[in-house]
Amino acid sequence: MADKSFNAFKMAQTQFDNVAEKLDLDQATRDLLRNPIREFHFSIPVKMDDGTVKIFQGFRVQHNDSRGPCKGGIRFHPQETIDTVKALATWMTWKCSVVDIPLGGGKGGVICDPHNLSMREQEQICRGWVRQISRMVGPLLDVPAPDVMTNAQHMIWIMDEYEKLTGGKYPGFITGKPVGMGGSLGRTEATGFGVIYTLREALNELGIDIKKTSAAFQGFGNVSQYAVKLYQEYGGTAVCVSCWDQKESKSYTFIKKSGIDLEQLLGITDKFGGIDKAKAKELGYEVADAEAWIQQEVDILVPAALENQINAETVKKISAKVKVVAEGANGPTTPEADEVFKKKNIFVIPDFLANAGGVTCSYFEQVQCNMNYFWTKEEVLSKLDNIMTSAFHAVYGLAKQKKVYMRDAAYMIAVNRVAEACKLRGWV
Amino acid sequence: MDKPQNSIDKLLHDMRERAKELNCLYQVEELLTKTHLPLAEIFTQLIHTIPSGYQFPEICQVRIEYDNQTYISPGYIASSRFQSADIKVDDKVVGRIEVSYTSDVPQTENSYFLKDEHKLLQTVAERIGRTILHLKLEQVSREWETAQKDLSEKNKKEWMVVIDLLRRTDQNLYIHLGRKMVYHLFWNGVMEAKELLKTLSKDRNEAQSEISDDMNRPSQRRSQHELLALSDETFHIAARYLTDKEILGRIQKWIQEDKAGFLSRAINNIDQPLVEIINAITHYHYISGGNYELSPPMEKGLRVSLIRRFFSDDLEFINIAKNHIEVRHFYDLVQRIIYPASGYGRLGGKSAGLFLAQRILSKPGEHSAALGDLKYPKTWYITTDAIMSFLSYNNLEEVNEQKYKEIDQIRLEYQNVVQLLKNSHFPIEIVKGLSMALDDLGDKPLIVRSSSLLEDRMGTAFSGKYKSLFLANQGTKQEKLEALTDAIAEVYASIFGPDPIEYRAERGLLDFHEEMGIMIQEVVGNKVGDYFFPAFAGVAFSNNEFRWSSRIKREDGLSRLVPGLGTRAVDRVSDDYPVLISPGIPNLRVNVTAEETMRYSPKRIDVINLKTCTFETKEIPALLAESGHEYPGIEKIISVYEDDHIYSPSALNLDFSKRNLFVTFEGLITRTPFIKQLQTILKTLQEKMDTPVDIEFASDGKNLYLLQCRPQASTAGNVSSPIPKDIAPDRVIFTANRYISNGKIPDITHVVYVDPEKYSQLENSEEMLEVGRVVGKLNSLLPKRQFILMGPGRWGSRGDIKLGVPVTYSDFNNTAALIEIARKKGNYVPELSFGTHFFQDLVESAIRYLPLYPDDPGIEFNEKFLLTSQNYLPDILPESAALADTIHVIDVPQATSGKVLRVLMNADLGEALGFIATPVSASAATEETREPSETASEDHWHWRLRMAERIANQLDGARFGVKAVYVFGSTKNATAGPGSDIDLLLHFQGSAAQKQELGLWLEGWSLCLAEINFSRTGYQSSGLIDYHLLTDEDIEKKTSYAVKIGAVTDAARLLPLKNQ
Repeated sequence: MADKSFNAFKMAQTQFDNVAEKLDLDQATRDLLRNPIREFHFSIPVKMDDGTVKIFQGFRVQHNDSRGPCKGGIRFHPQETIDTVKALATWMTWKCSVVDIPLGGGKGGVICDPHNLSMREQEQICRGWVRQISRMVGPLLDVPAPDVMTNAQHMIWIMDEYEKLTGGKYPGFITGKPVGMGGSLGRTEATGFGVIYTLREALNELGIDIKKTSAAFQGFGNVSQYAVKLYQEYGGTAVCVSCWDQKESKSYTFIKKSGIDLEQLLGITDKFGGIDKAKAKELGYEVADAEAWIQQEVDILVPAALENQINAETVKKISAKVKVVAEGANGPTTPEADEVFKKKNIFVIPDFLANAGGVTCSYFEQVQCNMNYFWTKEEVLSKLDNIMTSAFHAVYGLAKQKKVYMRDAAYMIAVNRVAEACKLRGWV
Repeated sequence: MDKPQNSIDKLLHDMRERAKELNCLYQVEELLTKTHLPLAEIFTQLIHTIPSGYQFPEICQVRIEYDNQTYISPGYIASSRFQSADIKVDDKVVGRIEVSYTSDVPQTENSYFLKDEHKLLQTVAERIGRTILHLKLEQVSREWETAQKDLSEKNKKEWMVVIDLLRRTDQNLYIHLGRKMVYHLFWNGVMEAKELLKTLSKDRNEAQSEISDDMNRPSQRRSQHELLALSDETFHIAARYLTDKEILGRIQKWIQEDKAGFLSRAINNIDQPLVEIINAITHYHYISGGNYELSPPMEKGLRVSLIRRFFSDDLEFINIAKNHIEVRHFYDLVQRIIYPASGYGRLGGKSAGLFLAQRILSKPGEHSAALGDLKYPKTWYITTDAIMSFLSYNNLEEVNEQKYKEIDQIRLEYQNVVQLLKNSHFPIEIVKGLSMALDDLGDKPLIVRSSSLLEDRMGTAFSGKYKSLFLANQGTKQEKLEALTDAIAEVYASIFGPDPIEYRAERGLLDFHEEMGIMIQEVVGNKVGDYFFPAFAGVAFSNNEFRWSSRIKREDGLSRLVPGLGTRAVDRVSDDYPVLISPGIPNLRVNVTAEETMRYSPKRIDVINLKTCTFETKEIPALLAESGHEYPGIEKIISVYEDDHIYSPSALNLDFSKRNLFVTFEGLITRTPFIKQLQTILKTLQEKMDTPVDIEFASDGKNLYLLQCRPQASTAGNVSSPIPKDIAPDRVIFTANRYISNGKIPDITHVVYVDPEKYSQLENSEEMLEVGRVVGKLNSLLPKRQFILMGPGRWGSRGDIKLGVPVTYSDFNNTAALIEIARKKGNYVPELSFGTHFFQDLVESAIRYLPLYPDDPGIEFNEKFLLTSQNYLPDILPESAALADTIHVIDVPQATSGKVLRVLMNADLGEALGFIATPVSASAATEETREPSETASEDHWHWRLRMAERIANQLDGARFGVKAVYVFGSTKNATAGPGSDIDLLLHFQGSAAQKQELGLWLEGWSLCLAEINFSRTGYQSSGLIDYHLLTDEDIEKKTSYAVKIGAVTDAARLLPLKNQ
């Protein structure tokens, strides 16, 4: 691959350099945090179904564990590269830090295409992966989770192999397990609720009564559905959601100015968050094109679908009424749009803060597993509320104090916490 | 007894007569089956019964002569108003039956009796003959048993006892055996035998041809007495030269062979109507007690003759079938054949395929264990000629000439033909047969399938052209019978449908004498709630032409599985997906993540509603919520989605009210022997039939049933294309030799080529995403299915997008083919995606996938053509001109002075070729073969263009605010097919009111043209015009379709408006 091609890790480093500059970090800290603290490359021999043996390339990257055991997913991807894994591990460090949970950042993966593998072969890869790295991972060292093309099944295989190797029961070694196998309740709600917990705090700070607000949601998947649910429970009016229409291969926005009825809409929604257009019209929803959600005259925008949705073009369509953008999706806003937000004084709850409910719940899963005692859903969600609320206030406090953009404040606080931990440990 | 006058009365009268005759036949039948009664008793009762079948029973009398006895109605008087029929046994007249009227009755067509009454009497006479034969045979077999008992008790020279018995009971056979023995002795060099033979053959010069000849009735020129004496002598000689054991063995063998003599006579006589053959088979079955001991050459000879009579003349078929279908197998078959009274028909292609497959698989062998308890649905057959007898019975022969009419006339008249046939009556013997079939098949729903001669000849290329209909088969016998005859008539009508006729015309098959057999099959399945359907069903192919991984080999096969009736697996259903499995490597799934698995799982199910007696498509979640607990083996069919995890459930924890259940067949695939079974079926059939096969199957949750089997080679749309070897090197664009499927894309006008080198050098992901977006735009602008996409690595790459253009299915759903190029980087060749991200979308929309490995030895890749031909990207999408280095849009006709790119793929050779060729024909894109003289398709576009011109010419620009009208797309490009739209662009400057008025005006045209197009082509659409309004601003900024106006490639064409 040519040198000048796009490289995610370089992007992560540039991002860090900018923050380091703002925090005025010393050179040693910069050198430490610019790169992962440990990086493992290993070969996984697998006996295939046809009797041949194939060698798969596996990775685990631990970016920084100064604040606690590393946490991060395991990806199965045919074009996996170490640079991608390094970048993702770095971002995990900042994400755990911004919500102030005692975890570091990690990521791992195997170069393989599950489309070319039987389940038995995938199981062998999972077990082979943990056999190679078992001494460097564990509930107190590094905790993997499902990621691209891996799921609860893969996690259980990995846990099982780890337990065989170590001779104990360690459900806390891995997260993303099904409830009943060490999984935590409340995971489905976590991300969507997390977005609204931070939104509630933001509105409070801005002196806006949430009951008098209206909001437009992009997407109608898991995150958006629970975000709408909690937002309406708090008394807000969700005027629209958008969703992907599989048949027509395009998105539509479903609008009801008086407020959508979530239960009613869920009744006509398929498993992928696709709403039945005809039935929605019957129920009195206006069905508009994909971009209608961003043009609504609302106080709040919640992009909870894809990246790059608010860009130089679409940002122009945002109503003057909009005061807050809560980023439920990863990277929904491009840098150009950020500039517009700053100019227009639109308050942004940045993605890795707003949607950190998921990773926080994974942390809870780990905690519950380690003590082998499981909380009720209410307990999980109330603890999630506490964490998200404090995380928001810490970021907001810094933004106000230093008069910086929320996204920058979030990064600054995250990096600073990690840098402090390294310093306290005497590493730098 | 007046002759009815009024025509309606006449009709009623006729029908009453028919009922009487039928009733009479039933009673006769019943009497004749009482074989415990002495014949005399049976005859006496018959005399009372028969008059009831006649028009004037009160004055009707019967007389039966048999065995020098006469049986008459009480008070019998001789009459000249009579009809009679001979009673025959083994073709010999043994008696006579006569029916007469005692007083005068009106005459019809110079006869005192109705046409059907003649038939009735014939039938009765035949039945009597058969009963007599049966009783005779029983007597013989009783004597035989006594003799055998004698033998074992006395332990004498056994053969002598046998001979003695025969000499008393069956002299013909005795003489026959004697002659056989003479030959045998002669061949063994016994001199006395030579002498005997001379005497014997004095007046029979053709003695050599005797072996299977008729010895039941020896030459009449020699007296019976003489012949008996000769035989006696023969056995005396034999006793001296041969051991007792050998003589007995010989005698037994010859007796066996003799038993089959009549069978071979009946079968080998090509003039014999089917009924004779069926009788012979049944008869032989009875006398042999199911124990078929035929000599090997005789068995072979009979097999071939029977296969030819019932199935096919095709030598290849016979060659294979004769090794698997035995004479004894025909007995079961003929019990379920319905045929016209004196028919000569066959059973048709579909029946032949299934029957052969059943024979092959039922034969014990190494495959038996893996097959498990494979079953076959109970099936009745109607012979192919029944359709002709049906037509002539209703005086509808002229319908046969339908095929020579103009296609639009055929189409117009087709509905009438269907109604006509549905309102016609079936001949008595067919109705009777169907009634028996219904009794046999019980209350299970039925499927009425066509099984035509052409299907046999042409293989599956013809399948699907004729109808198959499902019947709920509920209600009273009468209702069921009506529904069944209705369905058969409708299936018959499909032979006169426009589509099959057009298809035949195109292939020069119009003059083939097409006849249609019918298969009436029970539907495999269970009652679940109000519905009836199989637990699952599907199709499977020996060869996998849609491989989603390089690890799948072609011979691993492919199966398309669906819950419920197999209809959704057989046809491509645009908005639903079957589950795909490659039986050779079942663990390699198309869909891996939970999201993919759910997205591409079947959402609907085809069922028979037993309440409404209709065929229905239901949403699976709704059906499960209603009656999931009754669904057999449901836990093996669905998976549960929970906590981002999809798993195969145990039967315990199923909650059908939740909407998190998806059809995956996970349990079926991993926890049952089903896949092994399927693979064994495919392998065994492919091996024994010496061709890859295509099967249909269904399961009731307990057993797997084979429903259909045919050679795969001829499956429509997947015919392998011959690869020409004489293409000049400068005309070759690319060649390929890995993971090739079958197919052909004849007329590619545009190529979108994403340069792998340049793409990998793009600086950031935003630019790569932009490439994806540009491809999406090109997809909507280039002519549908006339362009191909060629690009690096994995199209639709998610996550890391460096090695593949990030597109979704909707960004390329109009392409004809998706081509992935794996260029070597150092010593590393990137893995290709095989389209896995949207594999099932490709399959269902028939988009071809082809991987290219340009750096492989011996592979051609004309990069120069792709890179140096004029790139139209900046002209088509000026705003994306910056990407012209990376994305090349080539207008093939412009770059090659009017030629096109043609891609040929041949999986048998494992080769594919893309080369510059002269365009064949405008709409041949989906057809494999087309006669050069074919011009009919030419006018699809021509007519559309004429209509577009007419619309523009009629359009009042001032009234509607329209400044200009353009035509583009397939109508302009002369590529329109029978189902194409007419694409129009309207430069619009009017008001909202004008816009609405214009819309209505165009809609009128659109509906009219759709209607006309339907009668021309049979393609139904809700409108034929697809128009886009462009504003001044659009045109100025060249947004959306405005780019088409004045475009450099594929530009829209201006049409003159009214008053211009």
